[in-house]
Amino acid sequence: MIKKLAAGRVLRVALLAALATLGRAAPRESKSSKPSPEDIPPIRMIADPYPAFNGIAVDAANGIVAMSDPNRKSVVLYDRARAGQGGASRGDASVPLRQIMGPDSFLGMIAGIILDPRRQEIYTANNDIEDTVVVMPYGASGNVKPARVFSVPHQAWGLALSDVADQIAVTVEVQNTLVFYRRQVKGVEAPVRIIRGADTGLADPHGVYWDEAHNEIGVANHGNFRGIVKNRGGGCAPSLVVENEAEAGESRPPSIRIFAATARNNAKPLRVIQGSRTGLDWPMGVAYDPQHDAIVVANNGDSSVLIFGRTSGGDVAPLRSIRGGRTGISRPMGVAIDTLKGEIWVSNWGDHSALAFDSGARGNVAPKRTIRSAPAGTPTPGFGNPMALAYDSKRDELLVPN
Amino acid sequence: MTQPRIAVFARLANGDAAPTRLITGQNTLLGRTIHGLAYNPTRDEIVVPNALADAVLVFRAAAAGSEHPLRVIEGPHTLLVTPHAVSLDLRNQEILVASLTGRRINVFRWDANGDAAPVRLIEGPKTELGHVVGLAVDPERNLLAVANTHEILIFNRTDNGDVAPRGRIAGPKTGITDEPWQMEFYKGRIFLAASNHFHQNLYDGVTLRPDATDVPDDPWLNPILGFMGIWNITDNGDVAPLAMIRGPFSGLIHPVGLALNPKDGEVYVSDSVKNGVLGFLVPQFFPQEKPNVNSDGRQSK
Repeated sequence: MIKKLAAGRVLRVALLAALATLGRAAPRESKSSKPSPEDIPPIRMIADPYPAFNGIAVDAANGIVAMSDPNRKSVVLYDRARAGQGGASRGDASVPLRQIMGPDSFLGMIAGIILDPRRQEIYTANNDIEDTVVVMPYGASGNVKPARVFSVPHQAWGLALSDVADQIAVTVEVQNTLVFYRRQVKGVEAPVRIIRGADTGLADPHGVYWDEAHNEIGVANHGNFRGIVKNRGGGCAPSLVVENEAEAGESRPPSIRIFAATARNNAKPLRVIQGSRTGLDWPMGVAYDPQHDAIVVANNGDSSVLIFGRTSGGDVAPLRSIRGGRTGISRPMGVAIDTLKGEIWVSNWGDHSALAFDSGARGNVAPKRTIRSAPAGTPTPGFGNPMALAYDSKRDELLVPN
Repeated sequence: MTQPRIAVFARLANGDAAPTRLITGQNTLLGRTIHGLAYNPTRDEIVVPNALADAVLVFRAAAAGSEHPLRVIEGPHTLLVTPHAVSLDLRNQEILVASLTGRRINVFRWDANGDAAPVRLIEGPKTELGHVVGLAVDPERNLLAVANTHEILIFNRTDNGDVAPRGRIAGPKTGITDEPWQMEFYKGRIFLAASNHFHQNLYDGVTLRPDATDVPDDPWLNPILGFMGIWNITDNGDVAPLAMIRGPFSGLIHPVGLALNPKDGEVYVSDSVKNGVLGFLVPQFFPQEKPNVNSDGRQSK
C-alpha cells in the first residue's frame, strides 16, 4: 500500500510540475481560495444522501443486523429487535447502533456482507473496483481501519463462511467462479480452491450460502455467460493479458446451483433449480433456513422473496413466496435468517428499508418490523456506481445505468 | 454491484430524485458493467452492452420494466469479448463497441441482430489498444477517437484490422493519468470524462499474479482527481484540454459517465465517488448552439 501511495504522489508531483509550464488551460490544483475558471459548480445533482441497503446479515446471538451500503460507502449496524420500533414503526428513519464509514475504512462499492458471531467480525465484499474483502470488528464505528483486508478477483459479490471448513467463499461475477480462502486470510493470498468450469454451470454468480448441516453450498446465478470458461483476463479490470479468442456469449436462464461444500474445480452441481416454473428473476442474495429446511432467495427482478425446499431441483415452483403491496418488498438485494426469532430479513434496494418477516410467511403479508435508513417515502435514485450516461433528446431525459 | 438496470430521469431532476421509469428485470437481458450507453435519435432506440454475456442490446427508447430488447447482438461470430462500452455513428449508421479485455473495437451495422459478424474490427499489437472504454466518431473528418488506458488514440473511422493509430493525445499536459472513461463528440471536439481513478487488480482470471505483494490502495482515493476535458479531435501529442470542468466547486472527484445536451448548453457527468449524476450549464462549450432561454433568463423546461 505504501509503495502504491508513494508512486501516486510521484505521479502527482510530476503532473503538477509539467502543468506549471502551460499556457493553454490545463489541469492544475489552485492554491487560492478563489475558484479557478474551470471549477464550475453544477446546476443540478441527482444523488441519494441516505444509506442504500445492498447486502444484509443477522447475528441473532449478539442481537445485531448489519447492512452493506454502497451508496454512502458504509456498513450500518442496527439492534435487530429494537431498530424497527418507536419512531421507525411510524415511518421515521431508524437509529443505527453504529455506522462504519470514511477513507480509512476501505469501504467502497460493497455488495455481500456476512457476520461471524463467534469472532464478532463483519465481512463485506468490495465489488467495484476496489477488489477486496474488508473485515471489521463488531465494535468498529466511524472512520476506522479494518482489522483485515484481503485482495480478491474483480467483481466479488457474495460471501459465505464455514467454521467447519474454516474457509470463506466468494462469488466472482465476470469470472463465473466461486473462490475459497482460508478464513484467516489477510492481505494478498492465493485462494485455497475454486469452483469454476463448464460443468459447474456458474453464470454471473451472486449470492451464496454455506449449509454446514448438510455440507452443501448454494449459489444464485443471473445467467449471463461469456460462452467459454477460461482463467485469464481481468474482466473489466486492467489486464496484462489479451483475450482475443472468440467467446460466444449466452443469456441463460437464472438458477440456484447447489454444490457439495467440498467441491472444487469443474465440479457438477448436486442439484440445479432452473426453469420457467421457478419464477427466478435476477436472484441476488440467498440464505439457508434450517428451521424450514429451505432456500430463501431475494428475487430482485419481480420484487419478491422465493422459498424453495432445500432438496428441490429442476424446473420446480417455489414452496411459497412473499410478494405484493403489503410486503413492502422493493427490488430486494439480500436475505438473512434469524434462527432465534424465526425471521427472514430482506434488504430493499428500491426503498431505504430492511424488512423482517416471520420465516413461515407467505403471500402478501406485512413485515413484522421495518428498519429505515431514511424517512418512509423518501425517493431513491438507486445508483450503483453509474459509469455511463446518455441523453434522450426526444424525451428530454437522462438515462443512467448501474 | 447492485441492481442491473437503466434508470430514466427527467432532465431537470435534482437531489434525491426517483427515476420516472426503469428498464430492469430478467427479460431485459441486462447485466452489470455498463460502461457505455447510447441514444439513437434517428431510430429512437437505446444501445447498451452486456459485458458479462458478450452481448449488445438494443431497446426501444421508451422501454419500461422487464422488457425484452428489440435486438440482441450475441454469439461467436460477433467476436465480442466483455464489451464494456458502445457508441453510435449516426451518419454512417453504425454501432461501435469497446471489447475491453479483447482489446478490440467491433463495428456493427446499427440494425445488426443475433450472431452477426462485425463489419470492421480494429485489433492487434499495432493498434496499441489496451483498456479501451470510450469511443467517439467524427463523421466529417472520418476519425475515430478512443479512450484507451491512459490516453486518447485517434484512428481513421474506416480503419480495419491491425492498424496503428494516426494520432495520440497523451502526456502530462493532458491531465489524463488512468482509465479515461466515457467520451462524446460534438462538432470537431472530443468531450471526455477523465476518471483518473487508479484501478489495480492482482488477479489474472482468478489466479493471483506472481508479482502481487500488497493490497492496492482504494482506487477512489487516488489524490489525482479526475475532470471533464475537451480537445479538438485533430489535436495530437501532449496537449492540454481546450476547456474543462474540474475542482472542488464542481463536485467532480473521479468522473466516469458523460452525456451532452448542446440544445440547452448542458453537460452531464456521473461520478463514482458521489454515486450521483451532476449537470453543468456550460453553453460556452457549444459555441454554435444557443441554449433555449426564456425572457427571464432562465433555461426553458
